[in-house]
Amino acid sequence: MILDAAVPVSEDRAISLGALTARIAGRLATPELRDVWTVAEASDMRTSGGHCYLELIEKNEATGAVTARIRAIIWASQFNGLQMKFAAVTGQRMSTGMKLLVRGTVNFHSAYGMSLVITDVDPSFTVGDVERRRREILQRLTREGIAEMNKRLPWPVPALRIAVISAPGAAGYGDFMHQLYANPQRLRFRVRLFEAVMQGEHTTASVINALERIASDDDEWDCVVIIRGGGATSDLISFDSYELASNVAQFPLPVIVGIGHERDVTVLDYVAAMRVKTPTAAAEWLVGQAQTLLDGLRRTAADILQTVTDRIGGCRTQLAYIEGQLPHAPKAAIERANAMIGARAMQLSGAATARTAPERARLTAKGENIATAACAAMERSRQRLDSTGALLDALSPMATLRRGYSITRIDGHAVKSVGQMPDGTVIETIVADGRVVSTVGADNNHNQ
Amino acid sequence: MENQPKPVKELTYNQAIGELDSILRTMQSDSCDIDKLTAYTRRATELLRECRSRLTATDEELRSILEGLENN
Repeated sequence: MILDAAVPVSEDRAISLGALTARIAGRLATPELRDVWTVAEASDMRTSGGHCYLELIEKNEATGAVTARIRAIIWASQFNGLQMKFAAVTGQRMSTGMKLLVRGTVNFHSAYGMSLVITDVDPSFTVGDVERRRREILQRLTREGIAEMNKRLPWPVPALRIAVISAPGAAGYGDFMHQLYANPQRLRFRVRLFEAVMQGEHTTASVINALERIASDDDEWDCVVIIRGGGATSDLISFDSYELASNVAQFPLPVIVGIGHERDVTVLDYVAAMRVKTPTAAAEWLVGQAQTLLDGLRRTAADILQTVTDRIGGCRTQLAYIEGQLPHAPKAAIERANAMIGARAMQLSGAATARTAPERARLTAKGENIATAACAAMERSRQRLDSTGALLDALSPMATLRRGYSITRIDGHAVKSVGQMPDGTVIETIVADGRVVSTVGADNNHNQ
Repeated sequence: MENQPKPVKELTYNQAIGELDSILRTMQSDSCDIDKLTAYTRRATELLRECRSRLTATDEELRSILEGLENN
């Protein structure tokens, strides 16, 4: 129909807007738009006055473009009940980003337009969906060969410098710190908080950013601890992110993850080096590690002390024994030496005797010979002496005197001539048995 | 034992522990004579002290660490 601007439309042909929207409402109030189950992704979810307002969207998987969209409402009277039902099965609350199977009725409100009023949810779909997504992410990480990387990293010894990723002021962080420094051993932990948003749609990017900040100084730290906690289960869907998991898997330091509760296991839990239930548990584990090292040191010190004590004790025992023996030792040694000398001496003398006997015999014989010879010599001498004596005797003046000769002396000198005796001379006449003194007289004949 | 042992501060924790184990085993063997015992004990004490100081902090140090945290 061609619109002719020049021809005015009379007001009585028009209906009011209210009538129009009522007409729409009427049309939409059909059975096939009531209690319809549909699958969609929750988006822009927020609560106000107890009611939950959100958008349900459908995306083209390949391009990510939104191909269908409807506003949705969960009235306060339903909302809590549905959340609890949902959490009972999935362990989480419904939140933005989740794929949900919901039952709703299309409603057209005159003022607010069209919306889907959600009256029920089937959580098992979401569980299946979440798990499926997790599986897919894990498979992809495994295919890329990085799923085990963080788990295989060797733990620094000791692990005392800890980079914590958490929301500031979060109860979880407080619990962690308290547990860490409550140890009585005064373990030397050094901790720095790298702040991040731990719930809501900015979580993934925020945590990745914190990881990057830590990585730029990675030789300052021994490990990373990602924690949140305390309070109700919030959305963990942000931690089921391929990008975040990939970051953690390839992180150069071991990562401890403590973001969920008992049942929650996100992809992050699979790729982190270690998974704990609570922030306190993370601190406990770290304290335990350091404690083990300390105990090891104590044991080694005790072993060394024991070994040294044993060795020295052994030496002391040996020394004491020697000291005990020492006073007796010289005497014993001397006795031994003496005995030995005695024996030797006996041997020697025996030997000597044996050796010298023939010599002695020879000597004795020689001695006898010498004695005999000496005697003989002496005999000869005596004989010579005797004969000489006899000769001497024969030649002595006495023998001459006895033969009748006399010696005449004047003043002691022997007279040899008559001329020495003029008359009147006193002369001495010596004969064999004496002497006579006389004077030469006148009748002396001087010739004869 | 090496001829020229490295200063304990330059060793990694694991290296220090390794050296301690080796000293202990040597001491326990028959071939360790009494003179070496003193030298080994001295080195072991150094190593133990260094390891312990890396693991634990004095009350002073702990206080300043905690203060730093509060200001962080």
